[in-house]
Amino acid sequence: MNIHEYQAKKILSKYGISIPKGKIAYTPNEAKKVATSVSLRGPWMLKAQIQSGARAHGHFLEAKAGKKGGVRQIKSRRDIIKNAEQMLGSTLVTPQTGEKGKYVSRIYVEAFTKVKKFFYTGMVIDRMSATLTLLLVETAESDINEVVLHYPERILKIPLALDTPLCAEKIREALEFLKLNSRSARSLKKLINGMQKTFLECDASMIEINPVGVMRNGQLVALDAKISFDENALYRHKDIALLQDDCETDERELQAAKYKFTYCEFDGNIGCIVNGDGLAMAVMDELEDKGYAAACYLNVKGGVDKDKIASGIKIIMTNPKVEGILINILGGFLRCNLIAEGIIAAASEVGLNVPLVVRFEGTNQDEAKEILKHSKLPVIITDEMDEAADAVIKAIEESE
Amino acid sequence: MSILVNKDTKVVCQGITGTQATFHIKRSLDYGTHVVSGVTPGKGGEMHLGLPVFNTVKEAKLETGANASVMFVPAPAVKAAVKEAIEAELDLVVCIAAGVPLRDMLEIKAMLKDSKTKLVGPNTPGIITPSEARLGIFPENIHHKGSVGIVSRSSTLTYEAVIETNRANNMGQSTVIGLGDDMMIGVDFIDTIDLFQKDEETKAIVLLGRLGGTFEEDAAEYCQKQNYKKPIIAYVAGDAMPFGHKMGYAGDVITQGRITAQDKKDAFARAGITVVNSINDIHQELLRLFPEK
Repeated sequence: MNIHEYQAKKILSKYGISIPKGKIAYTPNEAKKVATSVSLRGPWMLKAQIQSGARAHGHFLEAKAGKKGGVRQIKSRRDIIKNAEQMLGSTLVTPQTGEKGKYVSRIYVEAFTKVKKFFYTGMVIDRMSATLTLLLVETAESDINEVVLHYPERILKIPLALDTPLCAEKIREALEFLKLNSRSARSLKKLINGMQKTFLECDASMIEINPVGVMRNGQLVALDAKISFDENALYRHKDIALLQDDCETDERELQAAKYKFTYCEFDGNIGCIVNGDGLAMAVMDELEDKGYAAACYLNVKGGVDKDKIASGIKIIMTNPKVEGILINILGGFLRCNLIAEGIIAAASEVGLNVPLVVRFEGTNQDEAKEILKHSKLPVIITDEMDEAADAVIKAIEESE
Repeated sequence: MSILVNKDTKVVCQGITGTQATFHIKRSLDYGTHVVSGVTPGKGGEMHLGLPVFNTVKEAKLETGANASVMFVPAPAVKAAVKEAIEAELDLVVCIAAGVPLRDMLEIKAMLKDSKTKLVGPNTPGIITPSEARLGIFPENIHHKGSVGIVSRSSTLTYEAVIETNRANNMGQSTVIGLGDDMMIGVDFIDTIDLFQKDEETKAIVLLGRLGGTFEEDAAEYCQKQNYKKPIIAYVAGDAMPFGHKMGYAGDVITQGRITAQDKKDAFARAGITVVNSINDIHQELLRLFPEK
């Protein structure tokens, strides 16, 4: 689960990391009011709060929002109102949002912080060694993936313990790597320790501060911040769970998540229902091999509740891009008969207007096939995955 | 022969009194698995499915000689349950639960490092040696005792590979292991390939990889050095997956967008491993390698 920049900064500052003074605003008047309270004099930073990187390099879809990006430096109070009016209620498109962009419902007003140097820092789990890892890059690139892709040698990776802060020697190594003055040593220690504590105590899955600004006096300040949280651990952080902004998530995805299913959309026209991410990938590979692509897939995982499964299937049945449905279930934990019953329940509610091909294998497969045969629904039942892919493609081509 | 589990493995089920555990342990018992006891804290002294229930794994080991655990405890309780199994010095723990918090898994991996216990999973269908032992949730009806070792990083694709070995002159399986779909897992390809190469019953190995992490690359590099004799067939899922698309690996920014399924296939090919493009091609490769059963 992702949160907005202003929320991430608030959490990081609680763990001792310096941030510029800032406040959130939902209206232009509010923006002007809070600007005075964060700093008596300009310049200020106005930052559109959408969950995407590269906001400064983005553009707004609406003409009224002007040509500037989603992060703006403002000198006068009058311009705060003007720019807030432009940004609020507009749609910001960045290299990461896709062409649809994201709706800006609030902006963060910050005191401008003068810095003489930037760097990137991140904290992630290195899954292969199962260690918490600090990442540092001396120059702050707009897109860290560029560095990852072309200059991996520019990244310093430091493994961190789960129970102790980083030792003085390693902090010195980081200081030297970043070519920072010794005046920044204390501030760097606070930054790294603060990130580590945030990560572990809040069950984060990733923290990024891009960039960290280095002030003239050596003090480090988080100029941007991103935190992703481990969704599987939200049950022990009710306060963080409340920060979820539903506007940031696709409506169908949100609905699927309610039932603890995964739902993803793509560019094709076949709706897939599977149980397992690997199976989803394999089905999509199979379709691609035959010149087709998935419109979406729903992973019902090890679902055991018939009503939830029916609701999940409805999400696919009501997606207008779906011209055919391919259900490929390999039952282990999941019992195939529940899927069959779910199909019938969903079809009786929203109707079945596209070809539906199923392939059941595993737990209670025969029962599932019997249920569908007796349902009188026009369902095509197949035995193998490749066969199922062929069948749904044939049915779509015939119905055109 | 087989790897990790066989008819002599004495199994304790952690969380035995739950609904899913009851459903699957009953099936495992019917399958012939040597399940000897169960553990549910607070229900020690009761009987369930005809098996004695204990409060702790330690007691279960002491009283019934259990040396492997299959756990059906919910994700939030996994860390404590694995800790208990490690402290009781079990040889093997199979963890079915999906959704174990990352932080818990970091701690579990650290605990495993200094122990003799091997963890399979979490988020796995488990491990099965056909006709001998079923520790997990496999649909047992599709399994047949045979000569192909299967190790998979995708739960449901495991079943697909099992069916493929049946399509190949009924070669069947020696042992089938689901490594787990999660970001961090216990045993990996390298641990299991080594065991399969040494296992007399196993004639060929099927590896199922997928996007995320470098488990496949690491395995390929390892195999190249080992000069293994038994043929390995590999499939990697994720060709059609767009770049950077999150498949539940929020923490994978280190490698995000860098490693494709094709990169993994290339790594396997370089190591002399046969790569198939469709999972349904596995049976043909097996038939080519073993024209006669």
